[in-house]
Amino acid sequence: MSIFEYNGSALVAMVGKNCFAIASDRRLGVQLQTIATDFQKIYRIHHKLFIGLAGLATDAQTLYQRLVFRHKLYHLREERDMKPETFASLVSAVLYEKRFGPYFCQPVIAGLGDDDKPFICTMDSIGAKELAKDFVVAGTASESLYGACESMFKPDMEAGELFETISQALISSVDRDCLSGWGGHVYLVTPTEVTERILKGRMD
Amino acid sequence: MPKQQANWSPYDNNGGTCVAIAGADYCVIAADTRMSTGYSILTRDYSKIIQLADKSVMASSGFQADVRALQKVLAARHLIYQHQHNKQMSCPAMAQLLSNTLYFKRFFPYYAFNVLGGLDSEGKGCVFTYDAVGSYERVGYSAQGSGATLITPFLDNQLKSPSPLLLPAKDAVTPLSEIEAIDLVKTCFASATERDIYTGDKVEMLVLNANGIRREVMELRKD
Repeated sequence: MSIFEYNGSALVAMVGKNCFAIASDRRLGVQLQTIATDFQKIYRIHHKLFIGLAGLATDAQTLYQRLVFRHKLYHLREERDMKPETFASLVSAVLYEKRFGPYFCQPVIAGLGDDDKPFICTMDSIGAKELAKDFVVAGTASESLYGACESMFKPDMEAGELFETISQALISSVDRDCLSGWGGHVYLVTPTEVTERILKGRMD
Repeated sequence: MPKQQANWSPYDNNGGTCVAIAGADYCVIAADTRMSTGYSILTRDYSKIIQLADKSVMASSGFQADVRALQKVLAARHLIYQHQHNKQMSCPAMAQLLSNTLYFKRFFPYYAFNVLGGLDSEGKGCVFTYDAVGSYERVGYSAQGSGATLITPFLDNQLKSPSPLLLPAKDAVTPLSEIEAIDLVKTCFASATERDIYTGDKVEMLVLNANGIRREVMELRKD
């Protein structure tokens, strides 16, 4: 089993009309054994920027701690929050620093940039950025997520419809992956508010 | 010099995706028409579907040389059956024959990933899905091949029929109409074509119902 499949994860972010959604599964496993069913994979950097980390859980946690540290320093120096595009470049640089001994993580970054324009991107474990206008996926269920999102996504969805679409795509995809599941965690972010919801799916 | 190993494989993967959906009184079987090897395309116009009997249609992805050999064996066995029993094989009977034929080569398998679709003896749609060595199950819908992991979760979500993942196992037929099922298949292939490099060019769909069999072809992206 690959090191990326040790803990199991499913992450997806989608762009809507002046909003975005980022969702993850809730399982933490050690290969085939489930250890936790409420494991957090999406972290808040600031109220308009979220990062989800798929892959090895220990690297995800360490990476998150390093990134939050870097952002806090940035905030102290610049007296403002980081733009999502800038943060994405930061994550890419932090990952590439470890080019020959990488963090076994695949990040999914989602935020609202200038004029509250939604921004999403993903990278591989050594920092190769992939910007997308519609959706990005990561984790052990990524192939299933690609199929589900490609079929269900429509551009310019409003917040309510975006929430429904991302939830259906996530639940259908993790139901076909043994290593991810045990429900879902969805963050729906608009310029005025952040809504966090838990999904109940197949608990296996 | 370290010990040299053989690096010739008898198998190759020609890619492609197959889907089948069973309805109350119809069955849709579809497959793309792209045949590839490695990163190259061999042809854009290759049929992976064969009609084995009146009411049985098989679609197979994987190694097409093995698929072709398998098709020949099944066609020959069906001909013999017709001579001996003076009737066509039913779809469930063909399903069992396919399973036995695959397991016969358990220790040098046919590299073929099959879905068998048709109408059972009551006229209801049936779909059987197989692995390479003949393990099979009757289901309401199935996808096999390179685009299967992309298509299957979407079918789980859209088909109002019970998913094979539900317990207890429920009747395996979707309440969707024939037109709705065909539209769904077209959507599946359009989406799979976007994200899977081995799926594309055209999708060939065969629809079996009480009136007979109908063939439809839809263009897909060619990149």
